[in-house]
Amino acid sequence: MGTPCHFALFDLQPGFRLDLDKLAVRYRELAREVHPDRFADTSEREQRIALENSAALNDAYQTLRSAPRRARYLLAISGHEVPQEVTVHDPDFLLQQMELREELEELADLDAVGVFKKRLKAAQDTLNDDFAACWNDPAQREQAERLMRRMQFLDKLAQEVRQLEERLDD
Amino acid sequence: MALLQIAEPGQSPQPHQRRLAVGIDLGTTNSLVAALRSGRSEPLPDVQGNVILPSAVRYLEGAIDVGQAAREAAPSDPLNTILSVKRLMGRGLADVKQLGEQLPYRFVGGESHMPFIDTVQGPKSPVEVSADILKVLRQRAEETLGGDLVGAVITVPAYFDDAQRQATKDAAKLAGLNVLRLLNEPTAAAVAYGLDQNAEGLVAIFDLGGGTFDISILRLTAGVFEVLATGGDTALGGDDFDHAIAGWIIEQAGLSADLDPATQRLLLQTACAAKEALTDADVVSVRHGAWQGELSRSAFEAMIEPMIARSLKACRRAVRDSGVEMEEVAAVVMVGGSTRVPRVREAVGTLFGRTPLTSIDPDQVVAIGAAIQADTLAGNRREGGELLLLDVIPLSLGLETMGGLMEKVIPRNTTIPVARAQEFTTYKDGQSAMMIHVLQGERELISDCRSLARFELRGIPAMVAGAAKIRVTFQVDADGLLSVAARELGSGVESSIQVKPSYGLTDGEIARMLKDSFEHAGTDKQARQLREHQVDGERLLEAVQGALDADGERLLSAEEREAIAFQMQQLRDLLAGTDGPAIEQQTKRLSQVTDAFAARRLDSTVKAALAGRNLNEIEE
Repeated sequence: MGTPCHFALFDLQPGFRLDLDKLAVRYRELAREVHPDRFADTSEREQRIALENSAALNDAYQTLRSAPRRARYLLAISGHEVPQEVTVHDPDFLLQQMELREELEELADLDAVGVFKKRLKAAQDTLNDDFAACWNDPAQREQAERLMRRMQFLDKLAQEVRQLEERLDD
Repeated sequence: MALLQIAEPGQSPQPHQRRLAVGIDLGTTNSLVAALRSGRSEPLPDVQGNVILPSAVRYLEGAIDVGQAAREAAPSDPLNTILSVKRLMGRGLADVKQLGEQLPYRFVGGESHMPFIDTVQGPKSPVEVSADILKVLRQRAEETLGGDLVGAVITVPAYFDDAQRQATKDAAKLAGLNVLRLLNEPTAAAVAYGLDQNAEGLVAIFDLGGGTFDISILRLTAGVFEVLATGGDTALGGDDFDHAIAGWIIEQAGLSADLDPATQRLLLQTACAAKEALTDADVVSVRHGAWQGELSRSAFEAMIEPMIARSLKACRRAVRDSGVEMEEVAAVVMVGGSTRVPRVREAVGTLFGRTPLTSIDPDQVVAIGAAIQADTLAGNRREGGELLLLDVIPLSLGLETMGGLMEKVIPRNTTIPVARAQEFTTYKDGQSAMMIHVLQGERELISDCRSLARFELRGIPAMVAGAAKIRVTFQVDADGLLSVAARELGSGVESSIQVKPSYGLTDGEIARMLKDSFEHAGTDKQARQLREHQVDGERLLEAVQGALDADGERLLSAEEREAIAFQMQQLRDLLAGTDGPAIEQQTKRLSQVTDAFAARRLDSTVKAALAGRNLNEIEE
């Protein structure tokens, strides 16, 4: 692909608010062009290039599709690379996290999990709105980064909810 | 054949000649081969008109029986007759024992960890047994279609891990097949179903075969088949239903559980017949030796309930993984012979809240879909637009980290192809090597995951602990096969492997098997070579004719045209005979005399392209 920006690849302006359906349509169009299936009867070299292009496209798509990954990517391309692992100074949020986690551990059946998931979704929506409002403002850079980290936390929590669902389904 | 070079990638150089490619469903119980014939994908029958080839191989002194005859011989010759070999593919001996069933074979060790089965023809690996099934299907296809195959799409259960996929690909290679793609069985079924019904939206494919179970959730959008999630169990299928009934007979008839191989086979046959009869009957009478009893459908359903529950659980997980709601799934398609069991249909229907679809024969739908994909991959243009299949990896891939834990690098249900890198560091001062242990599975402890491969990155320059930066890159190709590379970023020291699964065949074993199969096929080989030369010659003739028609007048002098026409006639005459080497030589000669022509054509194409015209305009 070699394209410097994932957004450009999908004919989109860099931004946090994305039309995910439009993104999916464009992804399918691009996938048609680069997928190794189109190159099944070409030379090994061409097949390898198709494999690399296709993997790069899939990665770009996954990055833009997920809110926390998109947020991190937006910060990175606007010259604000955020390291993966740092100590987070966000005491209020950490406290809220701990409470949510404790609550999660007490959930005993799938109905209770369903209620919890709705709350989690609402919290994620609020975070997304807040991030969309401030990421592009240099004065609020620190806040944007904090929100992005909160998004990552909630994303991880959502994964744990999925694991719990699986255990409860036994 | 320089003239063939003027073609767009993915497009056949000769539009009017379809390149022969097949789809093969290499099943636990039955196998099929299908191809596109006059625009329709259909399974190819053998000379007796049967499309299904039982996946049974019997080794005799100096001969190999494959199919129905072999299956029937299983009770009388259990040690040399291999059934359901798919369940052994890519597995170690310990895994095989864990399948929890008695297998009536004598296992012996090989160079690799793969279990070999001792037969009158010596030890046979599951890969060789599978190759013997594939060879029969390949021959059937070549005879029916009247030509050599460009390649084949071989289907595998979506839930097959890397070792099982690699083993399948090795078997195809051993059978002399060019593997265009390993395709997941439910995805193949979705293609057949989607094109047949013009379906759009969310579709669930419930595929319960003889030995494996898959569930895939797909989104169908304008020719794009996008797998959202897949799940399953590679050791759950109709065979387990048979084993349950056999267990019941043993109990009812008061037999000792430690049966000889012949009795085991007979018992399983009896059990399978009872299961099939219960699809229509409410109760069947079962006889084994002097014992006779009655098995009701409800008693049978009670026996298999735990297995059905396992399959439904996998369905719920796949739907959750897809990020969709159960109600959004617009259609549920049944695939695999075991979906004929009424209780299976009922349970799936209840779970999804809709009647499962059975409009395409559940035994044939996978091969039909695979043939459609094979035809596209071989470079034939498809009427009604190109298909695109976007599949996923079924199980997470990762690495062993400190404390015997698995760190996921690529989570399950990630769209392939995919490449992902992760950075690690050294944990001791001056550490010069690092062990890379590649794993597949969902559990945290490495002992609960499948070990795919281990390799070592050596030559890391001496540094304090934590200073080295080691980047490990995972790449999964469109067949779902993994390769891993490791690199120390400071020094550039590199190490990489195409993951050779711990339970795969060693390179030495594959080389020996290939050699064996060539020796066995002495006369066969000559006939094949003749056919290959004929095909090459015919292709060249056609290409040259096409080029002459298009540009002969413009680019060649009368003498040149005459010289080419002479060589073409010579080749045509030889093609009518059976002298392979002469055909080969004349093909070369024709190719040589047309070389300059090909170069001129290419040149004029490039010039035209530089002048801003595209290739299509030129060819027209």
